[in-house]
Amino acid sequence: MKKFVVFIALALASNLAFAASSIRAEVNGMVCAFCAQGIEKKLKNLSQTQDVFVDLKKRVVAVQLKDQQTLAREDFTKIIQDAGYEVSKFEVVNQPLADIKAELGSSK
Amino acid sequence: MSTRILSGLGLVLLALQAQAAPMGFKDSWMSMGDFSPNWREVFANYATTPRDAFGLGYTYMRSDDEEQTRNLAELNYTHLFKRWNLRDAQANFWFIGGIGALRGNDFDGTKTMVSPGIQFDYETTRVYFSATQRLYRAHDINHDFSSVRAGFSFYETDYDQTQPWFILEARHMNDLSDKVEVTPMLRLINKNYFVEAGVNNSSQLRFNFMYIF
Repeated sequence: MKKFVVFIALALASNLAFAASSIRAEVNGMVCAFCAQGIEKKLKNLSQTQDVFVDLKKRVVAVQLKDQQTLAREDFTKIIQDAGYEVSKFEVVNQPLADIKAELGSSK
Repeated sequence: MSTRILSGLGLVLLALQAQAAPMGFKDSWMSMGDFSPNWREVFANYATTPRDAFGLGYTYMRSDDEEQTRNLAELNYTHLFKRWNLRDAQANFWFIGGIGALRGNDFDGTKTMVSPGIQFDYETTRVYFSATQRLYRAHDINHDFSSVRAGFSFYETDYDQTQPWFILEARHMNDLSDKVEVTPMLRLINKNYFVEAGVNNSSQLRFNFMYIF
């Protein structure tokens, strides 16, 4: 039983963003808005996505997920790679996009 | 031998096309145009992978004395050899190649033209450098195109804002012009469009654009 509980806990703490509200990632190589538009377009097309925010100055991409929606780290990374970039840091946060923008100092 | 290698590297660094990158993201169409009185180029390509794009292009070339004109319709292929995604920069090494039909006002019919080339570019949010060498060869014709560009942005912007850049380009088209065309340009980059405009050292207008669908 203990093993089962540990297994479940590990699974929840790994790559999947279960019922969390946002994904916040740092992306390497993202220096041009025109070139990075693929990131926003692809992420916005996902059924799980509520909204997307890109911060070029801090190289951050944030995705607010719809209620009860998830997005696997592998799927997110694949989208970033298809757009031509690399994910250097990925985290799931219980924050709405507005809070992430505020943290990053964006007025938008 | 080392002289040849250095010459080769020099050629690589002495060339460039109008664009920041010659293809868009996977499953996207990219269109591009480069317009001046002596060189007008339009092309569109579709990125089948993050590293490969196939497309169609049309190029009009004219000599400085306006005596010689060329019209090239070609199929083209773009391949990303290598990309370096750094924390605050991106660098790329590209292959750009085409094959098509060339018409000219000083010969009859059409000739097959091949146009293999390479491009290197490096960019941060504040500086830009790019160099391209592309061969334009057909039977008895050599219009090799070499170009280098460097520039800087006036300030950093947010993703949704338009960023102005100053870009200086020097380019040369073999057997069409004896001189190096130098053009200072204003570049505007937005997440939806990319445009450049300037006046070259022959007092001719230049205009470039890129758009991704």
